Amino acid sequence: MPDKGFYQEFEVFSKRSDASPLQHQFSLLAPNHELALVMAQENFMRREPVSDIWVVKREDIRKMDLEEKQSLKRLDNKDYRNTKGYGYLKKKWRVYEQEILDEREILSWGGEPEK
Amino acid sequence: MAETSSFDLLPDEQRLARFMERIETGEKIEADDWMPEDYRMTLIKLISMHGISEIMGALPEKEWVPKAPSLKRKLAIMAKVQDEMGHGQLLLRVAEDLMEPLLKSREHIIQDLLSGKLKFHNVFHMEAKTWGDAGLIGWLVDGAAIITQTNMLNASYGPYARALKRICAEEVFHAQHGEAIIMALAEGTGKQKAMIQDSIDRWWDALLMFFGPGDASTTGTSKQDITMKYKIRTKTNEELRQDFFSKYIPRVLSLGLKLPDETMHFDKTEGLWKYRQPDWSQFKQIIKNNGPKSRERLRLREISYTSNKWVLEALSVRV
Repeated sequence: MPDKGFYQEFEVFSKRSDASPLQHQFSLLAPNHELALVMAQENFMRREPVSDIWVVKREDIRKMDLEEKQSLKRLDNKDYRNTKGYGYLKKKWRVYEQEILDEREILSWGGEPEK
Repeated sequence: MAETSSFDLLPDEQRLARFMERIETGEKIEADDWMPEDYRMTLIKLISMHGISEIMGALPEKEWVPKAPSLKRKLAIMAKVQDEMGHGQLLLRVAEDLMEPLLKSREHIIQDLLSGKLKFHNVFHMEAKTWGDAGLIGWLVDGAAIITQTNMLNASYGPYARALKRICAEEVFHAQHGEAIIMALAEGTGKQKAMIQDSIDRWWDALLMFFGPGDASTTGTSKQDITMKYKIRTKTNEELRQDFFSKYIPRVLSLGLKLPDETMHFDKTEGLWKYRQPDWSQFKQIIKNNGPKSRERLRLREISYTSNKWVLEALSVRV
């Protein structure tokens, strides 16, 4: 790698709030993890709310190449894995004067959804 | 780096066909993907120029931090300067990843800037003489930048498109920061109104030049065709300039300001703004670092680069 003696590439991830998932932000150059954290805050978190930042050396990340990414493409024949494949139940339940328990209904049982 | 895959073994024309197919279907190209040489070189030129312009653009504005008329204005313009440097960092990262196979790094970008090989935007060679200029930079220079940058939000190169999304979101603050300064002056005393008119008069040509010449006849080369072919952008320089006119001319006029071009008008039959061409030979001189402030600002960059080198050296010491 070209004169990378000093700077190394870091990928930056952060969480918007304690309840949010980790999200990739961008990459940066820094001489070590500590400065990478400082730079991450300066470069990417000037306005957005943030509750945690992770920095990962890029060389420690195993990415997929183009060919491997091809294997991620799905055939559109898996309705049975999704509620889409069971949509007809709504009509059926109506015959029995019942509402379908759909995703929205079921996920609401735990109380107020996380904002 | 991943192992050699069967894709890498394909002949170039098949790889190019596959690459074009990906672009046509709206797939994003990533740094490690195969790409034709001219795509890589065009992106490196475009993005390193964009990145370094963000950094050089912070220089005329930073001069106004101590001189801004109130604490609130000082804080706001300081935040903007910080954003511009942040945008520079972001874009240089994108350029560096593209340069890696050429064994080049940020060091080379800075060296190319200082040697004059790497150009920066014509507007940042100009002097920001008055507080009106500081407002105009935020309002119209950032306005022009927003027009060109939003045109590339769907660029085929994924890392650039993602960087631009972040940048454009912040540019909205910048434009409004500029509008706030201009609005205060426009609603102020006669002297203050005259100050913005003077800024527009002096910056007009630079604003027209911002979008670049209409074709290659001015500077000998133009990257318009190649950037459009590869879906990095969708509009020509002239289309972007016309968009800028449509968005901003009515606003400029609504504040009682006059355009420094008495021939300018909107031709309804053609649907185009008619205007007097700026002096493009001057543009050529400016981007060759012969603009009013070119040398001084490059010198400033060089000084901060050399005088801060000790920090790098101190941090490099292994204990």
